Amino acid sequence: QNILTVCFSVGYSAVALNHVVDFKEKKQEISKPVSPSELFPSLPIVQGTSKRIKVLTRLTLIVSDPSHCNLLRSTSANIRLYDIIAVFPKTEKLFHIACTTLDVDLVCINVTEKLPFYFRRPPVNMAIDRGIYFELLYTPAIKDSTMRRYTISNAISLMQICKGKNIVISSAAERPLELRGPYDVANLGLLFGLSEGEAKAAVSTNCRATMLHGETRKSACGVVYTVKKPRKVEEEETVPACKKAKTQA
Amino acid sequence: MVRFKNRYVLCEVVSEDPRCRQCIEDRALGLAVRDAIARVHGDYGLACCSISFTVKYLNAYTGTVLLRCRKDSYRLLCSALPFVRCLESRAQRYPCFLNTLHVGGTIRTCQKFLIQYNRTQLLRLLQNCTNEEERQCIQKSLLSCSLTEEQSQSGDEEEDDGTE
Repeated sequence: QNILTVCFSVGYSAVALNHVVDFKEKKQEISKPVSPSELFPSLPIVQGTSKRIKVLTRLTLIVSDPSHCNLLRSTSANIRLYDIIAVFPKTEKLFHIACTTLDVDLVCINVTEKLPFYFRRPPVNMAIDRGIYFELLYTPAIKDSTMRRYTISNAISLMQICKGKNIVISSAAERPLELRGPYDVANLGLLFGLSEGEAKAAVSTNCRATMLHGETRKSACGVVYTVKKPRKVEEEETVPACKKAKTQA
Repeated sequence: MVRFKNRYVLCEVVSEDPRCRQCIEDRALGLAVRDAIARVHGDYGLACCSISFTVKYLNAYTGTVLLRCRKDSYRLLCSALPFVRCLESRAQRYPCFLNTLHVGGTIRTCQKFLIQYNRTQLLRLLQNCTNEEERQCIQKSLLSCSLTEEQSQSGDEEEDDGTE
């Protein structure tokens, strides 16, 4: 809770609380997320505007095996309760699967150790087309010097492939003093090889797009697009039936 | 016209310990920032940034710091500021972090920004304060803060008295 108060005082307008689920242990069940109203009786107001601060919930799955991904496709009710879903792939195959087929919002990039695989261009481009963002953490870089080297090398290798698009920088802060303000995080993006505009976007517009992506994933399963067909004489019986089906869906 | 161009970085020291703010000194802060630059950018970065590096203004009550550096090396400085983890003064370590507020080319622009920022901070304090006297004190300082030619320095101090 202290972390959240510091966040708000520093100037963030939306915060996501993360639950990490690791699949190494057997029988992991995904628990319900903590509702934000339990933490704060009334959410304080953002500095500078008159809107309340949003607190979202987020789930991170650490996958090291393709069978763990089945959990995402299952219709477990608890997954739907989370606003943002992130996946942390450990192998190249899983990275490919996460970028191309899995229904997630964020793909986490490991910053604490040397990457076991190299990024390739095709899955990264597909992820950018699908609207999936890559996430980098900055708190390990602040804590430890060897982590800093891994963070920067992994980040720069990602930049060389994706050209700085679709990057989100976030903190995995466990204590309120490990947090940094938004301007500082954008400056950290400069260290990772982003240009200044891209770094500012990584903190502001990309995060917002991720939130919207999570919302669309929760609410809409598809979009129905109705087009008025020119009525032909033979198809008169079938056309009203089609239109009825479309309006009902 | 040949002139050395500087950049002034305005930061706020945020820490959990209330005693930390009272013990901020300009030398301790300068050392902490130089140490962070050395850790991140190495000897080259430290040498580049320390050409014209000083702590220009320090306010112990609100924790506001104004740093100066050359225009060519302000990016090195700004990217190393998130790595400042603690301040050491009088043989005591205080964990804290620096929050960058504004980067400007002159002290005057930073001062204008600081006055606006302090005004919003006072408004926030106004919402949280419980005592009626404190409320009136804050409201009076809010109405009286402004940037004028003679009183440009005292404008900052008036608001600081209001926050205490």
